[in-house]
Amino acid sequence: MITAITAGIDLGAKTVKVVILKGKEVIGRGIATTGLDQKKSAEKAFDAALKEAKIDLKDLDRVVATGVGRTEAPNANSQITEVGADAKGAIFLNPAIRTVIDIGGEEGRGIKISPEGRAVDFAINEKCAAGAGAFTEAMARALERPLKEFAELALKSTKSIPMNAQCAVFAESEVVSLIHAKTPHEDISRAVHDSIADRIISMVRRVGIEKEVLLIGGVAHNVGFVNSLNIGLKLEVIVPEYPEFIGALGAALVAAEQQE
Amino acid sequence: MSDIKRYKTEPLKCWGKAKELRANYYKEYKEAKSKGGICWSGGAEAIDVIPYAFGDDVHSLTAEPYAAAIAFDPEFAHRCESALESKGWARDMCAYMRNYWGSVLIDEYAFGGPFPKPDFNLQSGFCCTHAKWFQVLSLWEDVPYFNIDIATIPFWKEEFPNRLQYIVDQMHESIEFIEKVTGRECDDERLIEGVYNDSRTTSLWAKITELNQNTPAPLDEKSMYSLYVFTTLDRARKEFVDFYEELYAETKDRVDRGIAALATERFRLMSDSQPPWAFLRVWRYLEQFGVVSTGSIYTIGLEGVWDIADDWSLTPREDLKSRGVELKTRDDALRAMADWHMRRPIYAMFYNADWKSKLMMQYAKQWNCDAAMLHLNRGCEGTSLGIMENRAALIKTGLPVLTYEGNMGDDRDFDEGRTIARIDTFMEGLGLKKLT
Amino acid sequence: MFTQFKDWYQNRHDYAKDWKARTGGKVMAYMCTYVPEEILYAADVLPVRVYGSHEASDLTEQHIFGMYCPFCRDCVAQVMEGRYDYADGVMIAQACLHMRQVYSSWEIHKPTEFMYYMPFPIAVESPHARPHLVAEYKTFIEAVEKWTGKKITIDDLDRGIEILNKNRELMRKVYELRLLDNPPLTGVECMHMTSSSQMVDKREHNQALEKLLKELPSRKTDRETGIRLMIVGSECDDIEFMDMVESLNSTFVADDHCTGSRAFWNSVEPEEDRLLAIAKRYLERPPCPTKDTTKNFVRFHHVMQMAEEAKVEGAVIIQQKFCDPHEIDIPLLRQRFEDKGIRTYFLELDVTVPIGQFKIRIEAFLEMLRADELPF
Repeated sequence: MITAITAGIDLGAKTVKVVILKGKEVIGRGIATTGLDQKKSAEKAFDAALKEAKIDLKDLDRVVATGVGRTEAPNANSQITEVGADAKGAIFLNPAIRTVIDIGGEEGRGIKISPEGRAVDFAINEKCAAGAGAFTEAMARALERPLKEFAELALKSTKSIPMNAQCAVFAESEVVSLIHAKTPHEDISRAVHDSIADRIISMVRRVGIEKEVLLIGGVAHNVGFVNSLNIGLKLEVIVPEYPEFIGALGAALVAAEQQE
Repeated sequence: MSDIKRYKTEPLKCWGKAKELRANYYKEYKEAKSKGGICWSGGAEAIDVIPYAFGDDVHSLTAEPYAAAIAFDPEFAHRCESALESKGWARDMCAYMRNYWGSVLIDEYAFGGPFPKPDFNLQSGFCCTHAKWFQVLSLWEDVPYFNIDIATIPFWKEEFPNRLQYIVDQMHESIEFIEKVTGRECDDERLIEGVYNDSRTTSLWAKITELNQNTPAPLDEKSMYSLYVFTTLDRARKEFVDFYEELYAETKDRVDRGIAALATERFRLMSDSQPPWAFLRVWRYLEQFGVVSTGSIYTIGLEGVWDIADDWSLTPREDLKSRGVELKTRDDALRAMADWHMRRPIYAMFYNADWKSKLMMQYAKQWNCDAAMLHLNRGCEGTSLGIMENRAALIKTGLPVLTYEGNMGDDRDFDEGRTIARIDTFMEGLGLKKLT
Repeated sequence: MFTQFKDWYQNRHDYAKDWKARTGGKVMAYMCTYVPEEILYAADVLPVRVYGSHEASDLTEQHIFGMYCPFCRDCVAQVMEGRYDYADGVMIAQACLHMRQVYSSWEIHKPTEFMYYMPFPIAVESPHARPHLVAEYKTFIEAVEKWTGKKITIDDLDRGIEILNKNRELMRKVYELRLLDNPPLTGVECMHMTSSSQMVDKREHNQALEKLLKELPSRKTDRETGIRLMIVGSECDDIEFMDMVESLNSTFVADDHCTGSRAFWNSVEPEEDRLLAIAKRYLERPPCPTKDTTKNFVRFHHVMQMAEEAKVEGAVIIQQKFCDPHEIDIPLLRQRFEDKGIRTYFLELDVTVPIGQFKIRIEAFLEMLRADELPF
């Protein structure tokens, strides 16, 4: 029997991710910044993934698209929502996952999943609590540090300064105040990450927090945020390798199922 | 969920009449004064039977439906909202109030011409906004204003004589107020007739919405929004009673013959709160999945009057005449009207989120709903009160629930793309694909 | 001189728990200053008003949707964090919609042995509100008696009235000192005094006030009064904010908010019918915007009178974000101030505030006021 080769493409607001599967094995990943020309960005991500997989586009049996720009996905045979893709990807990685937290640049999602990998309930941040990833990046810039360094700084803090947990715009104002008050950068970093974590946790509590909890999306690379999240949740979230690719992985798995 | 099949459908026969009645209502308000009549404005919950008693040339403009009409026209709505914001008013206030105030400020009537100044304003203050709505307008319009405070626990939950008396006393006083302002006398016979009409209108609406418990649903919620409106315009009017008699007979007939609102009905939804008026097409989008929205506590209970049992089950309350209630005096009429008025399910959330949750759970059961779609309505602090607790309570019963943010009156607070994406996600989770 | 009040404010929960241990009495946590505390004191119950903590919490969103005021969301967070678990009873006297959600969520998730919703009238100026409210008080008293197992007598009511009236009278005396050209207290100190009165046994609070009033008139401070300000608006115990404002050569000499004067301003006038006397006090007090609903604009008259008496030069209008009743009042109230030549500055508050950004704004506002004072 020939093993099917499928791909999932996740067209997010900030980046496009592609995952290529042979059967259920990941053989290639690709990522590109989402520019103004979504199709071009998608093709770039595809090229990178295909190169890693050492195959051509024509070798793909089926492609499923997800993400906010999924209707613009080139080569896609069908689509699945981000929540559906996240759920699929999460349960594949670890059958014990029951809660998925997906934090991207602009949107945060909390998903309750069944043992079969179905999204049974979900929460998405409402207007007043938007902007997780974008906010941390802006604050890192305000402190004139690379994002990775800004995130690591938070781990050095021993203080918890309360900060606006509802609105990223308000919180930004408060950070400026802290900078002017010459607050140590590690405490500022910790406060920023705590406030995002609080907002995210408050949202995820709507679907209930049940172990195991998987954290995915680009912001999962942020060690400061992961630390704040663990403290707030009073448990350790599981951060997979390549956390930003889980949506695309889920879409690729759906493609594999559909191919069968 | 039922298997996919195609039910028979038919357009509603009384649809055209509904459109005509509504158009006439707004025309009559505009022309009232020029014809020697009286025009007044107040909330939809104003005890409109009281002005009704002052003659058949008394015409109202109820504020919230008027503001909803403005919301249908985003360009006009934006002009109303900007007029207010430019004077320093916050944009997160009640969207209905902002649309209405804006219309007064720019002196434009949504149905053409300048805003017709009312002879008086009569209000029922049951929420923070309603109680102050016409207070501010009394400054701008220099119009006499009377507020009847009805902010007390609904009578289907608790009955205390002082609460009824409080409302009745104010109603008596409001009659004196209108007599003073208009120079007319209250016609007690007409008052009594109006009270019977009001109870018939609102009882009929409850009975009509009860018919949606059937599968297939004879009515879809989007259509119901155009049909319930008369219960918010002038409940005492005979022509509105007659319309609902007609609508009830037609809906019953549809049930008897298995006529569906949606031919492909395979999944039944309940909603909540006022809808985002500028985006009712979302209800049509749901239909692409074979999903019919049967209604909500808002749709059935804003004006529909129900008996609520100890187990929270809902039965339409028989109107006063059918119950054999005799009204001989003005006080009889006011007392009966106050009691009737305070039996609306909609008042639940103002007092206790859990009461509303119980009503919603009961709605889901009685109307055979498979899921709920809740509008986190930024335009109304009242109907969104306790909504997160409602959501949690419904989820606990195993009912899938979708929430989406929006605004009934200000389209700027509604993200259509994101909402459609959420609906897609929700449908996917339910295993429902589009039928078209 | 104000240390005791500050201590009570900062350690409110410890105080309440300690009071319970000391007296064996019951604590009633309450929302909204329309609660008839006289009746609670008559029943030997300690009323403790629920406040927020100005801390971020991740427990809020599942209970209250984001578009409701930060104060009610902060309060519900406190409740869910268990900070008020010592409360034996919980009640609300209806005023604004937002706060009702705190009561609802409390009842759903952590009901205490006594939960009470009092439908306090909105049309407080209506003569019909009086008999209605008296009847509600009777119903409430029956419920409280059943809860405590103790009948409330006329003497008990008189005791309750006396405790409350004394507290009001003493705090008004302190407020008189704020009218002086150089008030011997700051707005922050006053805030500690008024808010702590909502958290502790008023008999102890009265003792502290009496002690304060002996010393305060002759207090010498080395701070300048500077610009005389009034703080007006929603519930406000933003000590950090007020402290920042007063560090900029200004002093809050007057206020209208419900953690300040609006809560305690008028007293119960003696009457044969005690419940009617109490009802009149609450109906006729400076109203919360939710209860100021007629063309008389009672609240505005009261605020302007206070501003004039205190010779206020500027008003800082603070509003809890999303607060509808205040949002309806604010543009009109600001106009009243401006018409009297009193400049206003408007700020929205949240659970935490961007103190640096607010400082810039207040500095500019004060500078503007100082420029107004210049003769040329």
